[in-house]
Amino acid sequence: MTTGSFTSRPRYSPLTRFPSARAHLLVADHAGIAPHAFAETCSAADFPERWEVVAHARVLPQPLGGPGVHQFRSASHLLTLLGHRLNAETMGLRLYAVGSEPFVWDVARVGREAGMGREEMQLFAVGQPVRRVVCVHCRTINPEVTTTLVTCAGCGVTLSVRDHFSRMHNTWMGVQCDAEAPGELPEVEDLCA
Amino acid sequence: MMDDRTLSLRVAAAPLVATGLRRLHLVAADGSRLPPAAPGAHITLTLPSPAGARPLRNSYTLVEADPERGYQLIVRRTDRSRGGSHHIHDRLQPGDTIEATVPHNLFALHSQARKHLLIAGGIGITPMLAFVAHLREARAAFELHQIASADEAGVFAALLAPHPGERIQVHAGRDACDIAALLAAQPLGTHVYTCGPGAMMDRIAAVAAELGWPASHVHREDFGAAGGEPFTARLARSGIDVAVAGDQTLLEAIEAAGIDTPSLCRGGACGVCILPLSEGDPEHRDHFLSEAERASGCHIMPCVSRSRSATLVLDI
Ligand code: FES
Repeated sequence: MTTGSFTSRPRYSPLTRFPSARAHLLVADHAGIAPHAFAETCSAADFPERWEVVAHARVLPQPLGGPGVHQFRSASHLLTLLGHRLNAETMGLRLYAVGSEPFVWDVARVGREAGMGREEMQLFAVGQPVRRVVCVHCRTINPEVTTTLVTCAGCGVTLSVRDHFSRMHNTWMGVQCDAEAPGELPEVEDLCA
Repeated sequence: MMDDRTLSLRVAAAPLVATGLRRLHLVAADGSRLPPAAPGAHITLTLPSPAGARPLRNSYTLVEADPERGYQLIVRRTDRSRGGSHHIHDRLQPGDTIEATVPHNLFALHSQARKHLLIAGGIGITPMLAFVAHLREARAAFELHQIASADEAGVFAALLAPHPGERIQVHAGRDACDIAALLAAQPLGTHVYTCGPGAMMDRIAAVAAELGWPASHVHREDFGAAGGEPFTARLARSGIDVAVAGDQTLLEAIEAAGIDTPSLCRGGACGVCILPLSEGDPEHRDHFLSEAERASGCHIMPCVSRSRSATLVLDI
């Protein structure tokens, strides 16, 4: 069970182009963005500059981007160059991110570090739910968690994944779930259930 | 929302810093500590009006606010003034006491900004002096562009003298500063703050919007965007007609008629002065009512807004 009395689960709306902007940059952690990531009135074609992660990208992207589709070998590669790009950018840019939840919130962090506010970005998480879970006991971050219970890679306790998301740290909260009655564990469920 | 705590202040000094510009140094009349204020805050002074009519209430930005040392204001003597600035320039003497509101801040620096771009026109320099002092101390990234008429450029350069540096520029003449080029060159995370004539601030806001700046990054201070065509305000419930002169705000005219109505910023920002409107064609000049609220035509902010029709009927 992941729902408590309190939930801070982010909600996502399909992307639309911000009406007044000088330039738009869409980044995704995959190629071939599904049409449902866009609102009815728009599509990938409305975003002439796109950065995508393609595992076997052979051409090195321009470090500062520009119009066209740029391919990156990994999400971390894309995020690093995104940071450089945003530091060289001027006001009037809008940033859009599509991908796994950890990816889109990484993009939000890079944007925030460059001074962008929420009103200059849109995020849309796609795919199976994957959570980055922080163990509240030892602070270890357990990436790519897909179930409601997970063994902490740091301290070995069984964590139950709470419905509490930190937008600042891009992590979900994991709390030892058999603290009161050791060994008594609820049933493991898929996060998408 | 109305905060009517008042302060009793004593004029410690009132030197003329340039032709028509007087610096007021105010301390607590009883020698106590004054409330602190963040840069951008203002106080509203209650000043006697010339003909013994109801007192005037004018808002002035605090150029400096220190609980121990006191508050500093710079007041320009304006000819179109309703008498407030004349009183400060011609009558007020060191040792006099005046009444003021506690500081309010409707023009605060944005704490998340990566860079602050300050653009002032004329006497709009006053909040910028407070900002510059603060930003220097915080070692924050900023730029100040002061636009002044050619014959006044020297005055403003002198006021800015304690803060020399390449980040501060005084532009002599309205066209000496290329606003579009300036805004287009700003890095992500910049916030722009404008203070000066309404037309200048409108133009900067329009250029910023055109360049894709989100509205949340554009800040303005406007006091005294007051004048316009005279009109009549009919106060339906009180059953009186009030003549609003060209150099008077609707709020002032209502107050002068002896009707007490709440107000705070007197600059169209805070929303305190809102009044119900029943007839007429209002010219909204505030930053408080939304487009939808304006369209519904039910309210007006009398501290700045006026009338396009000869008569405006208010439900008060
Ligand atoms: S007094 Fe603040 S909006 Fe009128």
